[in-house]
Amino acid sequence: MPDTPCTANEASANKPPCSPCCEKPAHLWGRRDVLVGLGWFTVLTGLLASGAGFVRFMFPKVLFEPSNTFKAGYPWEYSVGAVDSRWIRDQRCWIIREPTGIYALSATCTHLGCTPVWLSTEDKFKCPCHGSGFHRDGVNYEGPAPRALERFKIYLADDGQIVVDKGKKFIFEKGGWNNPEGFLVV
Amino acid sequence: MTGIKEKPDTEKQDLTDHIAQSQIWKSIFRHGFTDTQRNRVLQMTAGFLLHTRPVRVWTHGIRLRYTWGAGGLTFLMYVVACITGIVLMFYYRPVPEYAYADMKYLKFDIPFGMFLRNMHRWSAHAMVILVLVHMLRVFLTGSYKKPREFNWVIGVCLLTLTLLLSFTGYLLPWDQLAMWAVTVGTNMARATPFVGHEGPFAEFLPFISPSFDARSFLLGGTLVGPGTLLRFYVLHCVVLPVVTTFLVFVHFYRIRKDGGISGPMKALEEES
Amino acid sequence: MTASGTVSGTALGKAALPDKVHAWPGLLRIEGLVTLVAMIVLCVWSITIDAPLEEPANPSITPNPAKAPWYFLGLQELLVYFDPWIAGVLIPGFCILGLMAIPYLDVNPQGNGYYTLKRRAFALSTFLFGFFGLWIIPIIIGVFFRGPGWNLFWPWEEWDIHKVVSQNNVNLSYLLGIKGYWAEAIFGLVFLGAWFVLPPLMLWQKKAATNPTIKKMGIARYVITAFLFQSMMLVPLKIFARLVLHVKYFLVLPWFNV
Ligand code: HEM
Ligand code: FES
Repeated sequence: MPDTPCTANEASANKPPCSPCCEKPAHLWGRRDVLVGLGWFTVLTGLLASGAGFVRFMFPKVLFEPSNTFKAGYPWEYSVGAVDSRWIRDQRCWIIREPTGIYALSATCTHLGCTPVWLSTEDKFKCPCHGSGFHRDGVNYEGPAPRALERFKIYLADDGQIVVDKGKKFIFEKGGWNNPEGFLVV
Repeated sequence: MTGIKEKPDTEKQDLTDHIAQSQIWKSIFRHGFTDTQRNRVLQMTAGFLLHTRPVRVWTHGIRLRYTWGAGGLTFLMYVVACITGIVLMFYYRPVPEYAYADMKYLKFDIPFGMFLRNMHRWSAHAMVILVLVHMLRVFLTGSYKKPREFNWVIGVCLLTLTLLLSFTGYLLPWDQLAMWAVTVGTNMARATPFVGHEGPFAEFLPFISPSFDARSFLLGGTLVGPGTLLRFYVLHCVVLPVVTTFLVFVHFYRIRKDGGISGPMKALEEES
Repeated sequence: MTASGTVSGTALGKAALPDKVHAWPGLLRIEGLVTLVAMIVLCVWSITIDAPLEEPANPSITPNPAKAPWYFLGLQELLVYFDPWIAGVLIPGFCILGLMAIPYLDVNPQGNGYYTLKRRAFALSTFLFGFFGLWIIPIIIGVFFRGPGWNLFWPWEEWDIHKVVSQNNVNLSYLLGIKGYWAEAIFGLVFLGAWFVLPPLMLWQKKAATNPTIKKMGIARYVITAFLFQSMMLVPLKIFARLVLHVKYFLVLPWFNV
């Protein structure tokens, strides 16, 4: 037994030879402990790494999702002062024309993502899920929604049509609505 | 029900006896069926299926007045949902183009298709109701107390799994109900602290974004779309049932190891 | 089952140790019968009522009202009163962990294996309040009393899509006249801190020396129980504050609100 973990004291002559199973190790980090520790370390890092690998596996590098930009016709197609819902079905966004310009408002409730409805008689957007209400400029004023509806980037294409880029969002609370890209002056 | 006969009747030798004496029958069931002490034990121990059950059980434990049968019924509903679910899988395709159409196909063109779909749906609802009732009964009888603490913990895991199974299944018909329940449900993940891109403290973790957070982990993208349907399908049909089945068996094993159904007498004994 | 089917436990007399019966046929026959009845009920249910199937999924149109499956309507109800991560993540998480902790927090050995109200009054009333008051009743409200715009309707009332309910909720600090960003934040922290610390502390000071249950619990169990209990009671407190005082938040911080 070359590597019994006994101290010299313990292994006195009148004791039977120490066996690894029933004697205290000589010191805290004997060879056995190091090897066992190494073993556990390997197992745990292996598990951890495969866990991390799995998490990464669940996030594809490319997502096949609908394109973010769409052409929304010519500015004169929108009447001043109206909230236009023609793109709701396909693009989930309202186009609102004001005397000075046009903005595109996201139709995704900032609470939990339902699509609000425009109630023209009450001049507000109302979310059917938990009752959030938004003014026509998108600012929330009732219900659980934590912030205003987002606005999208909006600009004119070379052919004079309006282009809405839903990939770029402007958040009121972060000062995004001051960004000229979110408001098309006409 | 008569008492136990210590000696089997031997006079009659009719057809049933003839079958029960045949080589085939005896090769399968190695014991008789006359109501003797010995056969009552053999019936439980000699076959594979019943040997997982105890041979003798507490008298109070089989009273419906005590258990309400709720745990057993929960399990029954789970089994029904598993079987009908497997049958539905023969027709259902977890792709947005087909999922909804397959529901209509099941309803209109497949004999008993709607019946099986109903059975799957209602057994799942019944399972949710019954698991709540079961938990209520276990609490009311204080059955979570020593030595059954851990089985209660397993039970809470089963309750969570039951709800998750229902939630993932809810998306599969790909109708309006499904879409919006899941949109709202998964958007809560978006608001989770740290791991959701709109949650508190996410701003301190720069790698968290709409396409890399707890929500897109569930959705397989930034929208409830094809990836979501497939993910929920795999969770609903494979991952969650496997975990649930495993824990149900641990739950049952623990009931036996914790001394069978809890009962008043042992408790009185302990208190005195 | 006649008496002859039971195997008697001991000879301690009438109130003796419990008896056992053979699982076959005692238990298995009951299970078989219950299964039979349950399957008949399930079949009739499945023949008479069809599982719902609505319009195909459409990401642009949310049905009004958009209801989750009934067993989640309790949570959806909470969404009216709390921010999503609290209603959807924190509260369910607390429910699960709190339920799991029950056997390790309840030190009362009585009422194990029989129905009793007297011997575990606190445990039972707390659990039943949570189970019915905060779980089942919100589900019932969500199923039967919520209509378009998530407004409250009586079940017999016609759903009016244009029903206007004014909701002008303000923070508690504002109600009390506390102004200024940091003043409000500090007020909120003090308020919630007091909610979690004061009642348990007062009870501890009054009862710790005399009450045998609290003594037996020890400080660690007591603190955890008190924390979970106060967290649970925060839910009805907030609902009450919202409905009666129109309080939006108790605590407003740069990172999150409660
Ligand atoms: C899929 C879900 C579940 C199934 C299939 C299931 C099944 C069962 C069954 C068949 C029993 C035997 C007694 C009876 O029928 O009442 C039982 C006992 C028990 N269950 Fe469950 N159960 C489930 C969930 C739960 C939950 C949610 C809890 C608690 C949170 C729980 C805690 C217990 C405990 C502590 C016992 C022992 C009761 C006693 O000895 O009196 N189980 N379970
Ligand atoms: S999703 Fe709009 S209010 Fe909840």
